[in-house]
Amino acid sequence: MFVLRRLGGALPTLFAVSLLVFFFVDLIPGDPAQILAGPTASNEEIESIRKFLGLNEPLLTRYGHFIRGIWDPAAATSFRTHRPVVVELAERLPNTLIVSIGGLAIGVLVGTLAGIVSAMRPGGAADAAITVLTLAGISMPIYWLGLLCIWLFAVNLGWLPAAGASTPAHFVLPILVIATRPAAMFSRLVAASLTEAMGKDYLDTARAKGLSETRVVLAHALRNSLIAAVSVAGVQFGGMLGGSVVTETVFGIPGVGRLLVDAVSRADYPVIQYAILMFAVFFVLINLVTDLLTQWLDPRTREQERPA
Amino acid sequence: MRSLRHSSTVAALVAGLSLAAVQAFAQPAGVLRVAVGADPATFDPAFNDLPVGNAVDLAVLEGLYRLDPQNNVQKSLATDSSFSPDGKVFTVKIKPGRTFSNGDPLNAEAVAASFNRMLDEKTGSIYRGLYASLGTIKAVGEDTVEFHLAEPNGHILMLLANTAASIVNVKALKEMGAEYGRKPVGSGPYMVERFVGGEGFRLVPNPKYAGDYPATLKAIDFSVVPEDGSRMALMETGAADIVERVPPESIDAINALKSAKVVTPPSMFSVNMEMVLRGPLADAKVRKALNLAIDRDGIAKGVLGGLGTPSVGMVGPGTQDELRKTFPLLQFDPEGAKKLLAEAGYKPGQLALSFTCPTGRYIKDVQVCQALAGSLGNVGIKATPLVVDRGTWTKVVGMEPAQRTDNMGMVGRATAGMDYTLYRLFFTGVGANRTGYSNPRVDGLLKEGRAATDPAKQKEIYGEIQEIVWKDQPFLFLWYQTQAIGVANRVQGFAVQPNETLVFDKVTLK
Repeated sequence: MFVLRRLGGALPTLFAVSLLVFFFVDLIPGDPAQILAGPTASNEEIESIRKFLGLNEPLLTRYGHFIRGIWDPAAATSFRTHRPVVVELAERLPNTLIVSIGGLAIGVLVGTLAGIVSAMRPGGAADAAITVLTLAGISMPIYWLGLLCIWLFAVNLGWLPAAGASTPAHFVLPILVIATRPAAMFSRLVAASLTEAMGKDYLDTARAKGLSETRVVLAHALRNSLIAAVSVAGVQFGGMLGGSVVTETVFGIPGVGRLLVDAVSRADYPVIQYAILMFAVFFVLINLVTDLLTQWLDPRTREQERPA
Repeated sequence: MRSLRHSSTVAALVAGLSLAAVQAFAQPAGVLRVAVGADPATFDPAFNDLPVGNAVDLAVLEGLYRLDPQNNVQKSLATDSSFSPDGKVFTVKIKPGRTFSNGDPLNAEAVAASFNRMLDEKTGSIYRGLYASLGTIKAVGEDTVEFHLAEPNGHILMLLANTAASIVNVKALKEMGAEYGRKPVGSGPYMVERFVGGEGFRLVPNPKYAGDYPATLKAIDFSVVPEDGSRMALMETGAADIVERVPPESIDAINALKSAKVVTPPSMFSVNMEMVLRGPLADAKVRKALNLAIDRDGIAKGVLGGLGTPSVGMVGPGTQDELRKTFPLLQFDPEGAKKLLAEAGYKPGQLALSFTCPTGRYIKDVQVCQALAGSLGNVGIKATPLVVDRGTWTKVVGMEPAQRTDNMGMVGRATAGMDYTLYRLFFTGVGANRTGYSNPRVDGLLKEGRAATDPAKQKEIYGEIQEIVWKDQPFLFLWYQTQAIGVANRVQGFAVQPNETLVFDKVTLK
């Protein structure tokens, strides 16, 4: 019921996004017909292409056409390839999801482990090392780190391929690179909330029952510390989808991010509009999943059954 | 025990990854691996606008004519051609018995259908305007095609030799729809076997090919890698045999490899600042002063890293060289420029000009614009470079001169032939004349040149047009781009056309 209500509540948001996406994309500088026709085209040629693309229709008619394209693939085709946008997106999405989900999973795992180590021995050598690495992880631009990894692991060591997406090995470097930021953030977040939880009374009760310190941390303190982390993970995942373009460009991965940037540079309106709308749907879903996970971890946040 | 199991898992994982990596680097004999920088969304010649798309169209499709690596027109499907006495009908005989890769006959009817499809407004081709003079195309029997021209055109061979005029299989196209753009059915030596959007594509030999350039390779594997550094890494690791667009800063690193070298064939891309001929730039003295104020050699060497040659004529090399005229290099003469500005009535600091520059469209475009602003500043002109994104740049340089608020815009031109290049830029009032240039003598010559079919007459006419334009200086002439392509030593017989099309006709691997 909660899920349905939340999804219903998202509809006005998505409608607003569709309006914004459609009208803002229309404001992007440059005329798609002119870009397609090239710099030597005459006004007549540009006008003919504009007519072919339907760009001379009134704005509202075009918006109606855009909305129709959500369920009718034939009404939503790329200006450049004339293929349905849904096909273009479906071809690219798996690569973006592999890198984003893989990066987030590794980031969460490494970050949580590093956070636990830091919290259990605050001020120790491991804590200091993790702090330095965390700082480096947060500060390094993904673009630069990506090129650095290609230089080290592909060019000098020859362990992994430099660019492409044809084998699983091609995904190792991009996933590791994209995992650095969530790993760094999680290690700080988990360390801070664990340190705070360690002083709480209920942990003393657990210790008094004779449980080992590791058990106390993993079974009791960590679950509470993860509540904040889950919300951050949701936001991080959304950011990774949006920021996938950098990783995809550096590592030559054909994903939605690169498709979107190519579309912007060529003013391929339908591809830009539907890709952004798709990201908006993802954001809504990620928020929903984050809320459900938070409720599972913290029963106090669950909704009360309302009387009929 | 647990740690042993753990170690084994890790070892297996590492071994698996290494194996995958080794497989990725394996060099199967006869497979050429090419890394390109731009993503060819379509190979449909009616819509493709990228050199990599031209390269695929040249290998997969055939035209009536084709260009050799020096941009000379050669016969391909055509055996013979002639104009009617009034110059209004152009007749081409084609080779009999040819077929597309799917077995469909490639006869006169198929050729006519291919051209008529491109010229149909409903197709929405970006080349309809370029080919509008072809008029209506009719098949006469099995092997004769007639072009009933919309206007006499003595440059028709150049148009027909362009890959945009490649013959597509209209029947297959109707069945496949937009997917035809990814796997075009042609009659060329290769076929597209695989196309993964944004990642790459593979060409394999067409068993039904019967022309003069049979496939020499088992396969050509293209991968799309937009980031320069990553593309160069493929060359350095030996994962690619040919890499497109080597940036100036990577040339030394590639040349230092034992396995590869950078080749730098000329490009017909002529990059200039196109002036808006009103206000101060309506004065020929000011235009001349601007051209004297620029150190073209310094820009070519210092900013472009050698990937540019100072302009010696409006038209770039390879644009019908038989009709091209070049002139002595415009000297770098800041004192002369100052003198001319004074004669035109501008004291130092009085003349302010702005110019629009794209970001990342041409080699080091932003840096060149900064250098130009400095050079113009040296002669007392307040120069403001307006560096904008590609969309804005396209919009600004495509505006009517009367709507422009800037004074110049950086534009590179590489077009199909002399007539197309000059007529569109310099004929009074045509849609693509964005400078507002108007010279009655040039107008007359351009009309005459378009209709002329005699090569000697064409040479004379276009020589005079180029001379007048060079003297009038409606552009701040800059440079011709130089291509830089990394090629592994094992690749033999590789060539590149001046329009940046990679040619695989005779490529073999050692």
